[in-house]
Amino acid sequence: MNEPSVAYRTVRTTAKVAGTFTVLFLVLLVGNLIGTTVIGPLREDRLAAMKVALRGGDPTDEQLAEIRQLDLQIRRNRVWRLDFAHKTGHALLASVVVLLVAGRLMRVLNRRPPQPQNALDVGAEQLREARVSRWAVTAGLVVLGGGAAMLVMVGAPLAFVAAEETGPAYASREDKRLQWHRFRGPDGAGVSIFTNIPTEWDGATGKGILWKAAVPLPGNNSPIIWNDRVFLSGATEQKQEVYCYDADLGRLLWTGDVPISPAAAQARIDPMEDTGYAASTMATDGKRVYAIFVTGDIAAFDFNGRRLWYKSLGVPDNAYGYASSLETHQDRVIVQYDQGHGDEDVSRLYALDGASGRVVWEVKRDVPNSWTSPVVVEIEGRLQLLTLTDPWALANDPADGAEIWRADCLGGDVAPSAIYAGGLVLAIEPYSHMVAIKPTGQGDVTKTHIAWTMDEGGPDVCCPVSDGQYAYLLESHGLIMCCRLADGEKVYEHDLRDNFTASPSLAGGRLYFLGMDGVMTIAEAGPEYKELGKNELGEKCHASPAFVDGRIYIRGLENLYCIGGAVAGDRAD
Amino acid sequence: MPQRNDDVTRRRFLRDGLWGACLAGIGGVAGFAAHKGQKVDWLWQIDPYKCTACGNCATHCVLEESAVKCTHVYGICGYCEICFGFFDPEPFDIHEGAENQMCPTGAILRKFVEEPYYEYTIDRPLCNGCGKCVKGCNAFGNGSLFLQVHHDRCENCNQCAIAAACPAQAFRRVPADQPYLLKSVDHV
Amino acid sequence: MVRPRPILVALAALLVVGVAALGLERFPPPEFETDYVRPTTTAPNPPQGVWEYVDAGVLAVTLVLATVLVLRTRNRKLIFTLMLFCLAYFGFFRDGCVCPIGAIQNVTLTAFDPGYAIPLAVLIFFALPLVFTLFFGRVFCGAVCPLGAIQDAVLIHPVRVPRWLESGLRLIAYLYLGAGVLFAAMGAMFIICRYDPFVGFFRLSGNWEILVFGGCLLLIGMFVGRPYCRFLCPYGVILRQLSRLSRWRVTITPTDCIQCRLCEDACPFGAIRKPTEPWPDKEYKVARRRLAFLLVLLPVLIGAGGWGGYELRQWLALVHPEVRLAQRIYLEENALVEGTTDASDAFRALGRSSDELYAAATQLRDRFGLGGTLLGAFVGCVIGGKLLTLSVKRRRADYEPDPASCLACGRCYAYCPKEHERLKRGREGLIRH
Repeated sequence: MNEPSVAYRTVRTTAKVAGTFTVLFLVLLVGNLIGTTVIGPLREDRLAAMKVALRGGDPTDEQLAEIRQLDLQIRRNRVWRLDFAHKTGHALLASVVVLLVAGRLMRVLNRRPPQPQNALDVGAEQLREARVSRWAVTAGLVVLGGGAAMLVMVGAPLAFVAAEETGPAYASREDKRLQWHRFRGPDGAGVSIFTNIPTEWDGATGKGILWKAAVPLPGNNSPIIWNDRVFLSGATEQKQEVYCYDADLGRLLWTGDVPISPAAAQARIDPMEDTGYAASTMATDGKRVYAIFVTGDIAAFDFNGRRLWYKSLGVPDNAYGYASSLETHQDRVIVQYDQGHGDEDVSRLYALDGASGRVVWEVKRDVPNSWTSPVVVEIEGRLQLLTLTDPWALANDPADGAEIWRADCLGGDVAPSAIYAGGLVLAIEPYSHMVAIKPTGQGDVTKTHIAWTMDEGGPDVCCPVSDGQYAYLLESHGLIMCCRLADGEKVYEHDLRDNFTASPSLAGGRLYFLGMDGVMTIAEAGPEYKELGKNELGEKCHASPAFVDGRIYIRGLENLYCIGGAVAGDRAD
Repeated sequence: MPQRNDDVTRRRFLRDGLWGACLAGIGGVAGFAAHKGQKVDWLWQIDPYKCTACGNCATHCVLEESAVKCTHVYGICGYCEICFGFFDPEPFDIHEGAENQMCPTGAILRKFVEEPYYEYTIDRPLCNGCGKCVKGCNAFGNGSLFLQVHHDRCENCNQCAIAAACPAQAFRRVPADQPYLLKSVDHV
Repeated sequence: MVRPRPILVALAALLVVGVAALGLERFPPPEFETDYVRPTTTAPNPPQGVWEYVDAGVLAVTLVLATVLVLRTRNRKLIFTLMLFCLAYFGFFRDGCVCPIGAIQNVTLTAFDPGYAIPLAVLIFFALPLVFTLFFGRVFCGAVCPLGAIQDAVLIHPVRVPRWLESGLRLIAYLYLGAGVLFAAMGAMFIICRYDPFVGFFRLSGNWEILVFGGCLLLIGMFVGRPYCRFLCPYGVILRQLSRLSRWRVTITPTDCIQCRLCEDACPFGAIRKPTEPWPDKEYKVARRRLAFLLVLLPVLIGAGGWGGYELRQWLALVHPEVRLAQRIYLEENALVEGTTDASDAFRALGRSSDELYAAATQLRDRFGLGGTLLGAFVGCVIGGKLLTLSVKRRRADYEPDPASCLACGRCYAYCPKEHERLKRGREGLIRH
C-alpha cells in the first residue's frame, strides 16, 4: 500500500469540498422550500386576520401602518425567496458539476487495470443465470397478476349510471299538479286538486295539528312542498338561509346558507318591515330548490342541501323591498326582476339554468318595480309565462322569452299576481279594478282582447282565487268580493273583519282565508257566502298556506305548522 | 456444417425481412403522422369561459413563478369605482391601501379616469396568476379579468403540469399562430 | 437561459358592446365624456417557431456524429464530449422538451384525436432516432439523449446488477410504454412527460416531488448505470427491439476476439455477453420440453393478460379526468359524499347536464375496456416472449455486446488489446506519413 499521489489527494480534497457545498446548497434550498410553503402562508393568514379585525371598528393610523408594513414584508419576502431559489439552484448545479468532475478524476487516477472475473464454469453459470432470470420474470408476472387481481377484487370506485334513460332532469307539469312546488301551488292559482284537506284544528289544544317546528330566521315567504319535504327560507340583514323540513315528522333536515353578495352588503338594503329580508317564496323543479332574497341573491340547492350555485342578480332598486316569488319551467328557474322607475333599463325577466345558474334567456322590460310573481300556465296547448307590471299584463314564451302578447291595463304598485281561470287571465290593479284578458292574442291586445273590467276596487296585496265560475277577491282589511267570471259582475261582498296578507285558497270546494292573527276562516265556494267554520292557530301568520294531500302547511311568524293526519295519502313518487 | 449454413441463411433472411418491415413501419407511422402533421407547434392556453380561478395555476406550474398571468380586456370592463377584482370582498374603506386590496402581490393598478370611472391595469411582472381578482370580477363584475398562459414565460411542456391539475379542464392546446384565447365582448 | 426576446404584440380588443350570454352584463361599459381612450390588451408573443427546426437539425447532426464516433472513430472521450454537448444543448439550453421519449405520446394522440396534428419537428424527433437505431444500433442512447447523458455524467462507481434483477425490473419499462400509449390514445394525459424525472433539473425548477424522484434516480445512478434507461424508459423498449435488427453494431473488438477476458467487467450496463457453451446433453432435453411448454404458454399469457386488462378497465378509466369528474358528480348527486370539489363546482358552473357527462364517461369507460384488453395482451406477450428468449441459447463464439442492451457508450473499446493494436497502427501510419 503506497501513499496516494499529490494529484489524487488534491482531487480528493476538491471532491470533499464540493460535496460539502452540494449538501449545504441542498439544505438551503430545502429551507427555502419550507419557508415558502410553511412560513409564508402563516404570515398571509396573519395578514388576513388583521384585515378582518379592521372591519369591526375605526382603526388607528398605527394599525393601518402595521398592516401595510406586513403586506410589504410578505411581498418583498416572496421576491427575495424566488431570487434566492434561483441563485442557489445555479450554485448547486455548479457544485455538483465540480463534484462529478473530481469524482471522475479520482477514478482515473486510481484506475485499476481491467480484471476478468473469476473463471467459473461458464456453461453452468449461463444456465443458472437464465434459470434465475426466468424466475425473476415469473415473479414479475405474479406481482402484476396479483396486483391486478387485487384491484379487480376490490373493485374500482366507479359507479356512475350509464347513459340509459334516467328520465328528464326535472319534474313534468303533471308531477307538479300533485305537489305545491311554488307560491300558491300549481299555476300559482291557490287551488289544490285534493279534496281531503282538513277543516278543523286548534292551536291551543294541538288538536288536528300533526307537528310544529321552529323556523330559525324570519321570513314572509310561504312553504313549498315536494313529496316528503317542505322548504322555506328566512333571512336577516346578516344571514340568508334555506330550510328543509321532513314533511311527516317536522324535523329540520338541513339548513342551506346563501352568501350575501358584497354589493348587497355594501348597499345596506333596508326593506320595509312588512316585506322583510325573505319575502320571495322558493320554487322547486322536483330535483332542485331555488331561493331568492331581498338582496337579489339567488341560489339553488339539491334535495340533500348541497348548494349547487348562487349568484347575485344585482342589488334591486325597489321601493319596499324585492318580493317576487320564483317559478320553475322544466329545469329552469324563472325570475321576475322588476326594479327602478321604468326608464333606467334595469328590469328583467330571467330564465336561469337550474343546474348552473347560467342565464338561458333574459328579456329587458321598460317597467318600474313590481311585487307580483310570474306563473307558467298552459293555455290552449301552449305554455305562457304571465307577469303583471305597471302598466302591462304580459305573456312570454317560457322556452325562449319571446313575447306573446301584452295588454295595457294596470298602474301603480302592482302586487297581486295573475291567475288563469275559465279561459281568462285575471289581473288586479290595487284599490282600482280587475281586468279579464282573453290570452289568445298576439302583440298589443289592449283594444282587442280585454273581456271585461270590474272597477269596484281591488285587493292591494292578496292574489285572487277562482273555481272556474267565480273569482274571489280578498282585500287586506277583510272584505271578500265574489265576481262572475263570465262577465265580471259582482255576486256578493262579505266583510271578515280581520286583516289579511295571505292570499285566499281553494280546496275541495272550500275557500280558506288565513288572517294575520292566525285565524283560518273556511267558507263554501259559490255564488253566496256560507261560512263553514273558523280555526285558531294561536300565532300570527303573514304567509299563504300550502295544501297537499290531506294536509295544510302554515308558516307563522316563528313556527311552521303541519295540519292533518299522520299518514299522507298516496304520494306521487 | 452445411446444415449450419442453411440455418444461418434462413435466419439472415428472416432478419432482413423483419428489418425491412420495421423500416416500412417507421416510414408508415411517420408518413401517416406527417400527412396529418402541421408546421406550427402547439401551445397551452386557458379557455377563460371554463376557468374557475381555483388557484392551481399559481401553484402547479413547473416554474417557480407561474407562466399564467391575469389578463384584462378593457372593452368588457365596467370601470367600476368599487371593483371586486381590486378590492377585498368587504373592503374596510374604498381606498387603495394594502388593507383593502385583494391582490396579494399588488399587481393591479387603479387610475382615475373620470367621475365615476376608474381604469384598472395589470402590472404583469408582479402578477403570479393566483386568480383572486378573476374570481371577484367574474362573481360580481363583468368578468373582464381572466387568466391566460403568457408565452414569454411558458416552457411549453409537452404535458402542462397545470393542465393535468386543472379541475375545470379549461386548458387546451392552441396552435402557435393563435396563442391567446381572449374573452370578447360579443361572446355567445 | 438565452431565449429570443418576445415582442409585445397588441391584440386588439373588440369594442363591440352586446349582450354577454355568459354571466350578466352587470355594469354596461361606460361611454366616456373625457377624451380617454381604452387601452388595447397586450400579451407577449410566443418565441419564434424556428427553434423546433433548429433542434431537429441539431438532432440530425449529432446523430450522424454519434454514429461516426461510435462505429468508426471508436473513441470514448469524443463520444463523452458529444454526450456532454447534447446534455447542455437539448437538456439545459432547450429544457429537455420535446424529447423522443415523450414524442411517442404525440404520435399516438395524432392517430386517435382528430383535433390534434403532430408538429413536424416533434415527428422528426420521434422518427429519426428510430431510423438510426435500425441502421446503427442505439447510438442515440449513447451520445444524444439528454436523459441518458445526465445519468451517464453522474455514473462514478458502477456496480454490477445481476441479470435476473435486470430482467425482472425491465418489465416496468414495457408496462410504462403500454400505459403511456394507452393514456395518450384516450386523451387522458401524457403520463411519460408528467413523471419525467430529469426535466426539472434541466429547467432548474419543477414540482419538488418529481425533483426528489429524479434526485433519487441520480443518486442510484452514481452506482447503477443509467437506471432510467434500463428499467423505465419506454422509448428504450422500442429501441431495444430495433437494435436487435441493426445493420451495423457496436463490437468490443475492432477485428477478432482473442478471448482474453479483459473486457468482462467493462460494461456498467451489463450488456456484454460471454461466448456460449453448447448444451449439456441432459439439459438439452429439459430445455426442449420447456421451450414447447412456453410456446403453448405464450397465447395463454396473452389471453390472460387481455382478460385482466379488460377487468381493470374501471381502474384505468379513473386516469381520465372526465371519468373522475363523472364519478364525483355521481357521488354528490346521490348524497354519497359531503361537499363539493373544485372540479364539480367548475362542472356545474358550465351548466352541462350530468346525463351528458355520464354518457361521455361511460363511452370512455368502454373504450378503456378495449384499451385495457390490448394493454394486458401486450404485457402478457412481453412476459411470454421474455420467458422464451431466456429459454433459448444463442451461439456465441466471441465476447460481444448484446445489441438490445448495448447503449453504445464506447467504454469497452479501451479494454480490448486488439483495439490498442489498432490505435497503435493508426499512430504509426500517421508517423509514416
